[in-house]
Amino acid sequence: MATTAEGFDIHTEDHAHEADHKPGFFARWFMSTNHKDIGTLYLIFAIFAGIIGGAMSGVMRLELAEPGIQHLGAAVEFFGGNASESANLHMWNVFITAHGLIMVFFMVMPAMIGGFGNWFVPLMIGAPDMAFPRMNNVSFWLTVAGFISLCFSLFVPGTGPDALGAGVGWTVYAPLSTTGNVGPAVDFAIFSLHLAGAGSILGATNFITTIFNMRAPGMTLHKMPLFVWSVLVTAFLLLLALPVLAAAITMLLTDRNFGTTFFDPAGGGDPVLYQHLFWFFGHPEVYIMILPGFGMISQIVATFSRKPVFGYLGMAYAMVAIGVVGFIVWAHHMYTVGLDVNTKMYFTAATMVIAVPTGVKIFSWIATMWGGSMEFKSPMVWALGFIFLFTVGGVTGVILANGGIDDNLHDTYYVVAHFHYVLSMGAVFSLFAGFYYWFPKMSGKMHSELLSHIHFWGFFIGVNIVFFPQHFLGMNGMPRRIPDYPEAFAYWNEISSYGYVVMAASMLVFFVNIGWSLVAGKAPGKNPWGEGATTLEWTLTSPPPYHQFETLPVIEDHHDYHDHSQPEAKPA
Amino acid sequence: MGGKVNHDYHILEPDIWPLVGSLSAVTFTTGLVFNMHEMFGTAGPIIMYLGLAGLIATFFMWFKNIVNEAEGGDHTPVVQLHMRYGMILFIASEVMFFVGWFWAFFDFALFPEPIVVSDDGTVTSLFQQEGAAAVTQFPAKGIEVINPFALPLLNTLILLCSGTTVTWAHHALIHGDREGLKQGLWATIALGVVFSAIQAYEYAVAPFAFGTNTYSSAFYMATGFHGFHVLIGTIFLAVCLYRAYLGHFTPRQHFGFEAAAWYWHFVDVVWLFLFIAVYIWGGWGAPVH
Amino acid sequence: MGQAFARLKLVWLAVVAMFAVAVPGALVAQDGIAPESPVGEVAEEVTQAVPEQEGAYSPMAPTDGVGMPTAPQDDMLASMTFQEQYSETGQYALWMHDYILLPVITLISLFVLGLLIYVIVRYNKRANPVPSKTTHNTMIEVVWTIIPALILVVIAVPSITLLAAQYETPPEDAVTIKATGYQWYWTYTYPDHGEIEIVSNMLSNDDAIANGEPALLAVDNRMVVPADTPLRIQTTAADVIHAFSVPSLWFKQDAIPGRLNEKMIEGIPEGVYYGQCSELCGAKHGYMPIAVEALPPEKFAAWVAEQGGEMPGAAEAAPAAEGEEVEAEATEVALAE
Ligand code: HEA
Ligand code: HEA
Ligand code: CUA
Ligand SMILES: [Cu+2]
Repeated sequence: MATTAEGFDIHTEDHAHEADHKPGFFARWFMSTNHKDIGTLYLIFAIFAGIIGGAMSGVMRLELAEPGIQHLGAAVEFFGGNASESANLHMWNVFITAHGLIMVFFMVMPAMIGGFGNWFVPLMIGAPDMAFPRMNNVSFWLTVAGFISLCFSLFVPGTGPDALGAGVGWTVYAPLSTTGNVGPAVDFAIFSLHLAGAGSILGATNFITTIFNMRAPGMTLHKMPLFVWSVLVTAFLLLLALPVLAAAITMLLTDRNFGTTFFDPAGGGDPVLYQHLFWFFGHPEVYIMILPGFGMISQIVATFSRKPVFGYLGMAYAMVAIGVVGFIVWAHHMYTVGLDVNTKMYFTAATMVIAVPTGVKIFSWIATMWGGSMEFKSPMVWALGFIFLFTVGGVTGVILANGGIDDNLHDTYYVVAHFHYVLSMGAVFSLFAGFYYWFPKMSGKMHSELLSHIHFWGFFIGVNIVFFPQHFLGMNGMPRRIPDYPEAFAYWNEISSYGYVVMAASMLVFFVNIGWSLVAGKAPGKNPWGEGATTLEWTLTSPPPYHQFETLPVIEDHHDYHDHSQPEAKPA
Repeated sequence: MGGKVNHDYHILEPDIWPLVGSLSAVTFTTGLVFNMHEMFGTAGPIIMYLGLAGLIATFFMWFKNIVNEAEGGDHTPVVQLHMRYGMILFIASEVMFFVGWFWAFFDFALFPEPIVVSDDGTVTSLFQQEGAAAVTQFPAKGIEVINPFALPLLNTLILLCSGTTVTWAHHALIHGDREGLKQGLWATIALGVVFSAIQAYEYAVAPFAFGTNTYSSAFYMATGFHGFHVLIGTIFLAVCLYRAYLGHFTPRQHFGFEAAAWYWHFVDVVWLFLFIAVYIWGGWGAPVH
Repeated sequence: MGQAFARLKLVWLAVVAMFAVAVPGALVAQDGIAPESPVGEVAEEVTQAVPEQEGAYSPMAPTDGVGMPTAPQDDMLASMTFQEQYSETGQYALWMHDYILLPVITLISLFVLGLLIYVIVRYNKRANPVPSKTTHNTMIEVVWTIIPALILVVIAVPSITLLAAQYETPPEDAVTIKATGYQWYWTYTYPDHGEIEIVSNMLSNDDAIANGEPALLAVDNRMVVPADTPLRIQTTAADVIHAFSVPSLWFKQDAIPGRLNEKMIEGIPEGVYYGQCSELCGAKHGYMPIAVEALPPEKFAAWVAEQGGEMPGAAEAAPAAEGEEVEAEATEVALAE
């Protein structure tokens, strides 16, 4: 057999008992072809990016704590520019851009799909690894490459020699991103998306192939754990949405550098075309960020209610429906661009439809708990928090969906409140739920339930204080993406900034918890969560062997997602 | 756990090329940005070409490894099935990439703006000015288009023809006729090269320049990306030809070849859409060069 | 552990821990909210003293709480919701939000919260040690699909009505105003009123306060319109995308280079209505406010005259052509940029 790294000598064939033989440090972490190690890398990367993105939002909340410009000059100087009125104001736009891009592309997506997806999709379907282990690794490193490019963009000119960074918003609308930010910063940001996007497309291919082809004997599609379903739907959204973004930002690139006029009216181009292309990607993107969360919540709710998921098929196909409908609602982000009335009516109606399958999920989770025997372990409290806060964020989405109402709310803090409820509470709560659920499995160490609960309550209270008042600001007329605001908005902004402090304090508890348990955590055994945890990962040691399932598991009769036909084990 | 491997999946060794490839990619894009903005003098091109070299090396080594693994017997039927899925999904994502370019094209064609292109290529917008209605057309007033029924039609025939030659090669391969495989591939590659040459010639003599207006922007970027895919497809087929000479591929196992053929057909279909939508329909009514 | 009491203790501990860290931090970061807003204070003193200008027109003093956001110090409830509406569609939209949407989403959220609390209390490990095995109930699944769908249909009816109302075509005699966004100010041109072009820049905080206007919302030259007259608002931009937005009129329309968007505002009462650019447009995106001043028609005519324009119909021969010239000029500027 030809190998690519002869020196590393981990041929399982030659060493029959070497399932746990790990390569050396460099080979293991920089050349990995092991889905669990790559998942770990993704998680570490996502936490790192989350800290940076979270710190940036801290600077933003500090600046917004009172009217006027107080701290942006210091930020300009931090990145090596010279503070001046225009440089400082530009720096605000750089901050929101970087915060949005980092949180979306380098925190939530890597954590959910790259991290938990990589770790647990193979384990849950009874596969030894991903279908394309080497491509798995390039997905990760391309994400890192994208992040590097985004970091470069912070240190090079955006609008001028003193105004560093790309100040274009995470949506990178033309012409602000073409003639409005002529410096190289935007090119770096664009390439950042190209690189991370390429990584995600490859990852999506990998997940779909793995899920379709590598399920253990007996693991039919309709027996797959819902987390696997969620990653499958997400992977399809990635596969079909990201290339359109790639085309759109390539048009930006050629408009900026090579004289094309896709979005330049002087040559007949159309700035609104960019928005169509962006949101054709962007709306599926928001479901990409939440569907894996839905999947995790389903596992957790079932585990800690000690009851199988209620309405399993409905749950799976609700996600499929959300994914499909998610492709035909994009213009609800563009209600004020001058759409004609029929278009606006269509997008209003289509958008509201998504509330139905989402409601099916909410109610099925509750029905899963109904009649259950609930235990409020750390993952479960986060899951409960998720269900409530996501509902709050979801219903404000339904308000925004009404084109005529959105005329007032578009580009105000109401939108900011909406999407932080579904992201900074929805997606992030599901991340923490998943993290506490699987941390013992991944690390082989038990975390502190006490610290986890403190983290939960602090975070819960904190983010609600941050984001609930933003609804008021938005309704009262405060536009988003401004560093300075009329006096009337001062009070609620200040409250919002206080909330950040509470949230930040709880994050310290989180880090203490991880640190403490990595050092001193007790061994959790195979399954710390009891009989409710029925998926395959709980049949393995914690952490699982370096190569698991060298003999494929057969899904047994008593298994949750199993019907009563006993498929044969696959011959070797 | 820890016993004999009892499955047919392919568990891979650690590999350096994903890291090298990714770092090369960001090196390449960084050099490109420096170049585009003329920053850091000669460092820009050096960085860019360094990255490009790394990328090419990565692709080369990566596919070399896959080929070696295939020949070494790692590609069990289920692994081959993975490859099939992978390739189909990759092509699906490519389709969506072209959807983006066609979207732009149809936006411009169906909702044209009042611009006029003068002989020297400068563009004037009559937006909100008198006479705007009279010049609101696509392609913009002043643009002469390429006659679709001259070289583009020839190119269409060439690509269609190459679709049949690649099928010829495939049938030969399935029937164990290695000479036929080689001939079919040679023919396909030759047709691909002729197509690219004609396309290059057409760009060189095209009656409109790159950029400056929506028609030429959409035209060059869409056909240009198609041309780039033709190039990739040709290289892919050339690799297959080389492998055919090395004695690779059996009538039962030759997914490398099939992937190349699929890709080639995909490129072919994109061209048909380009030919019909961009060359014929898009240029309809405009003066022909 | 695991008992309800122990859990309560955890919650309590968590909250105390949070505040132990949070409160001192917050105190260090901020001195707290100023008891009264300086703006309001000054405003009362200066309202009468709006600088008189030479002609008949002098900028109208805004009324507190009208056409602008409300500070919680003035009216807590008003600061937490939409601004009072002064356009007909705005009133309809506000009604729809307050009487349909907000109640519906509040009830849904509370319903979900109630269910969660119920299952937490009723189906925890202690209250219900043996879990049931129910995983299906077709009836309930149908119910929770159909009822949300019906709720959405109920929402869709006024929503579509609102959209239709917002898209009514302006009558022939509507006054046309074209707002053009620049980095970072607005110009307003009046194609039906001769060559008027108003360049509108934000006032500095000091000037705004001196004028008795809210800081960051006040401008040097307002967009003056006739009250109780339908307005045809056209928006476009010269450089990047901006958005013309006036929250108290429920009006927001993007100003996009190369496009001319148009939408009607039905007659609005006399008054000053503030807004802000609502599309990220670069460094000073936060500093390009909008102030609309609605004057009684006679005063509007006087204002037009003062700006050197003419009321339509005053001189039948010229206006059309002149109007177009203005537009052409604006476009030239746009192209030159
Ligand atoms: C995880 C991410 C996420 C998710 C899940 C959603 C979910 C939804 N979003 Fe959100 N949205 C964003 C992230 C997300 N959004 C972001 C990032 C932006 C801003 C982008 C930017 O401009 O920067 C945005 C902006 C945004 C807008 C544009 C606002 C504007 O800019 O003017 C709109 C408008 O329609 C919208 C609508 C919706 C709707 C209808 C849903 C629905 O899917 C919600 C469905 C859920 C529920 C409704 C709750 C549960 C259901 C029930 C309990 C059943 C009963 C309910 C009813 C009958 C109503 N969103
Ligand atoms: C997932 C997405 C996400 C998340 C989590 C957040 C989190 C936060 N955001 Fe952000 N935000 C956006 C996405 C997100 N945001 C986007 C897209 C925009 C729009 C940008 C634009 O206008 O272009 C925006 C804009 C935005 C604004 C508006 C700026 C403006 O319009 O001027 C503000 C203002 O307060 C803000 C604040 C915050 C705060 C205080 C948090 C806090 O909640 C932050 C607290 C920190 C965390 C929650 C991170 C913790 C996570 C980890 C450390 C990783 C854990 C990983 C594992 C467990 C594996 N954000
Ligand atoms: Cu102009 Cu924002
Ligand atoms: Cu959306």
